[in-house]
Amino acid sequence: MKSGSTLTTAESTLQLLKPPSVVTGHLTIGGLDDQVLTPVGTKPPLAWFVAFSVTLSATLIGIALIAYTIATGIGVWGNNVPVAWAFDIINFVFWVGIGHAGTLISAILLLFRARWRNAISRFSEAMTIFAVICATLFPLIHVGRPWLAFWLAPYPNQRAIWPNFRSPLLWDVFAVNTYFLVSLLFWYIGLIPDLASLRDRTTNRVKKAVYTVLALGWRGASLHWHHYERAYLIIAGLATGLVLSVHSVVSFDFAVSLVPGWHMTIFPPYFVTGAIFAGFAMVVMAMVVVRKTMRLENLITDYHLEVMNKVILTCSCLMGYAYLLEGFTAWYSMNPYIHHTFMQYITGSYWWAGWLTITCNVLIPQLLWLRPIRRSYSGMILVAVAVTVGMWFERFVIIVSSLHQDFLPSSWQIYKPTFVDYGILLGSFGLFFTLVLLFARVLPVIATSEMKMVLPGSQPAHKGGRHE
Amino acid sequence: MSDRKIFSVVGIFDSAQHLMNAIPDIRKRVNAPLEAYTPYPVEGLDKLLGYRKSPVGGMVLVMGIIGALSALGFELWTSGRDYPQVTAGKPLFSWEAFVPIMFEVTVLFAAFTAGLGMLLLLNRLPMFRHPMLRSSSLPLVTRDRFALAVEARGAEIDVEKITRLLQEFGAKSVEVVEEPAPAGVASPKFFLRTLTAIGIVCILAGFITYWTMKLFPIVKPMVHMLDQPRLNPQSPSRYFSDGSGMRMPVSGTVARGSVPYTIRNQELAGDLVNPLYRTETVLRQGRQAYMNNCSVCHGVLGDGKTSLTKAYGAKPANLVSQSIAGLPDGKLYHVIVAGKNAMASYSAELGEDERWATVHYLRVLQRAANARDEDIPK
Repeated sequence: MKSGSTLTTAESTLQLLKPPSVVTGHLTIGGLDDQVLTPVGTKPPLAWFVAFSVTLSATLIGIALIAYTIATGIGVWGNNVPVAWAFDIINFVFWVGIGHAGTLISAILLLFRARWRNAISRFSEAMTIFAVICATLFPLIHVGRPWLAFWLAPYPNQRAIWPNFRSPLLWDVFAVNTYFLVSLLFWYIGLIPDLASLRDRTTNRVKKAVYTVLALGWRGASLHWHHYERAYLIIAGLATGLVLSVHSVVSFDFAVSLVPGWHMTIFPPYFVTGAIFAGFAMVVMAMVVVRKTMRLENLITDYHLEVMNKVILTCSCLMGYAYLLEGFTAWYSMNPYIHHTFMQYITGSYWWAGWLTITCNVLIPQLLWLRPIRRSYSGMILVAVAVTVGMWFERFVIIVSSLHQDFLPSSWQIYKPTFVDYGILLGSFGLFFTLVLLFARVLPVIATSEMKMVLPGSQPAHKGGRHE
Repeated sequence: MSDRKIFSVVGIFDSAQHLMNAIPDIRKRVNAPLEAYTPYPVEGLDKLLGYRKSPVGGMVLVMGIIGALSALGFELWTSGRDYPQVTAGKPLFSWEAFVPIMFEVTVLFAAFTAGLGMLLLLNRLPMFRHPMLRSSSLPLVTRDRFALAVEARGAEIDVEKITRLLQEFGAKSVEVVEEPAPAGVASPKFFLRTLTAIGIVCILAGFITYWTMKLFPIVKPMVHMLDQPRLNPQSPSRYFSDGSGMRMPVSGTVARGSVPYTIRNQELAGDLVNPLYRTETVLRQGRQAYMNNCSVCHGVLGDGKTSLTKAYGAKPANLVSQSIAGLPDGKLYHVIVAGKNAMASYSAELGEDERWATVHYLRVLQRAANARDEDIPK
């Protein structure tokens, strides 16, 4: 009797440890295709058009104001010495950061064999690409004459000069471009089997022609899968190093300079954590909407959302640690300039931005310790919005609060953004969500071939292998 | 049945388990290559079919190392040698600063080798003419079925026997896939024709662009430095009250390096004395000035015979003739400053020193043209 009860306890403990199924309800492999691939390329519902018109309007406002900026010059922005970097660089860092969650989900979690990633990887990878597009926009328009941006490329020219390879700004160009290209490649390679499924499903001739070309004649041969899996794993490994390097390089733009508040060794890990933090918040927001409107509750389950919320909670604690360490560095270094800058963060002209950052990034996400909040829509949306706002203001604090009082008190200035700054920020959000909405209608939002791989009963139950 | 060649016999299975159960048995009984088609990667299938380890890893390693070395080498060469810049007092070959870009380029090379190498080299994609793509089995495979193909690969296979075998080991249906009709878009001829067409279009586009730009110079490419707010010589300006863009010198002053020249007559200029010594530097300066300004008309040798003479019917003076060789330095100087006959003044092109140096160089030319025996070095 006694031994029996021990066994039951052990079994129930094992049951608890076993990760829950990645899908709810009964789903066959073919049923997955029907659910995910059928809506692709069909006429969207009214709600989609409403959302699309809103995001497209925002995009057009952004485009008009960018045109105004380029035609007139970047003097139409609020930037001025000593705050020479403001909204443009804040938005750049913000959007690059948003992208990082996608690569983390698609690459790092693949290496960790976290099977729950398969349902959300496609969507978050797409978000990575769109976020990086939004991000690259800002340095491009910040250079003032974007048609000369090719000067950043090291090409032999009649001026007989080369770009400065010791400059973090050039590292940035290489890092962000590499990140974009590798993310695009990773995303496309993941899409190929799904495009083949779409090709074989559709009866529309035009669509079939498009999908045929895009699928490159994929036929699911086992030898192809053999090479494909290997290559996919290797790119995931490379992307893991890349995702850690990209935001580190972005942080070097600050850390390699001598500005107090920027010149700190904690910046690379601090930036990478912040990037993943903000990115996951964006993914959670998008996923809640996607699973609801596209009826994917059985594929993107409460378990998925809960795991993502746990990642957000972890990152939030790390961010809190980073903020504390900034204060500690200011105190322990006994450097009056760093001390002054840190006090500016929390008591200076922009004290409200500093405290907003701490509240949104550290305090509000602590709600996620409670399981009901991790599983409630309103709870997680509240946290995700707070984190998005908080992370934007964190970059505001780092850039504007540090710069507006530089070494020369006579040049101290209060930075005020103009309507153009706000409009272009709005435009970047518009562009991002426009691309997301388009993506959700023309390509499968869930990587079906990856999902099929982890569905119950999809793998042969051979000896010693993994099985359900 | 048509008389086309048979490519493979394909059996469709309901699950990965059924497929994997059937493979060892069929392999024992059929002496033909097997290929499986699955909607997703099936664990253990590659071992069962006896594939060797994929070479992607090795390719990535090699290309990654090439990427790292080429990035580092390029950075060292550009920043340290071809265009040396000292940044923050660091040495020219400061490799530490080159690591981030080296890393990014390594990842770029490696990732694209993995992705494109897998697609293009190993899997031979894009491939739109594979017989499987025309079969009715493939739509089942890309959805949820598993196919095992016994491939002919040019040899004869016993279709009936294989069909029976596949059904015996669990295939729900069997399809015979034929080779596609020969020729078509992917033939070498087609590629050759496409390449030729692209080449012709490129050449035509180049010619059209060249002539359009030449005949209709509306589009000025890359004129950013011309399009700037600046004042051109002789142009008006609203900035100054007299409306003229150019300014007179402040009265009673002389610009540095320019002494006012007041002699109006070549005869009176004969008394001027060349202030420069005949040093090698001065002669080099004179030659430079002569080559740049005078040689077009008067000729490299100073004899006044150039291609321009014929083309324009002009008769520039023969500077090495006896009459000109006999003139004093001052009179030659005067012609440079004031011009003579069709020759315009060169006072704007040449500074005072350059004019006198040119006169010295003229003497060299004259002596060279009328050399005596004792001028020849021993």
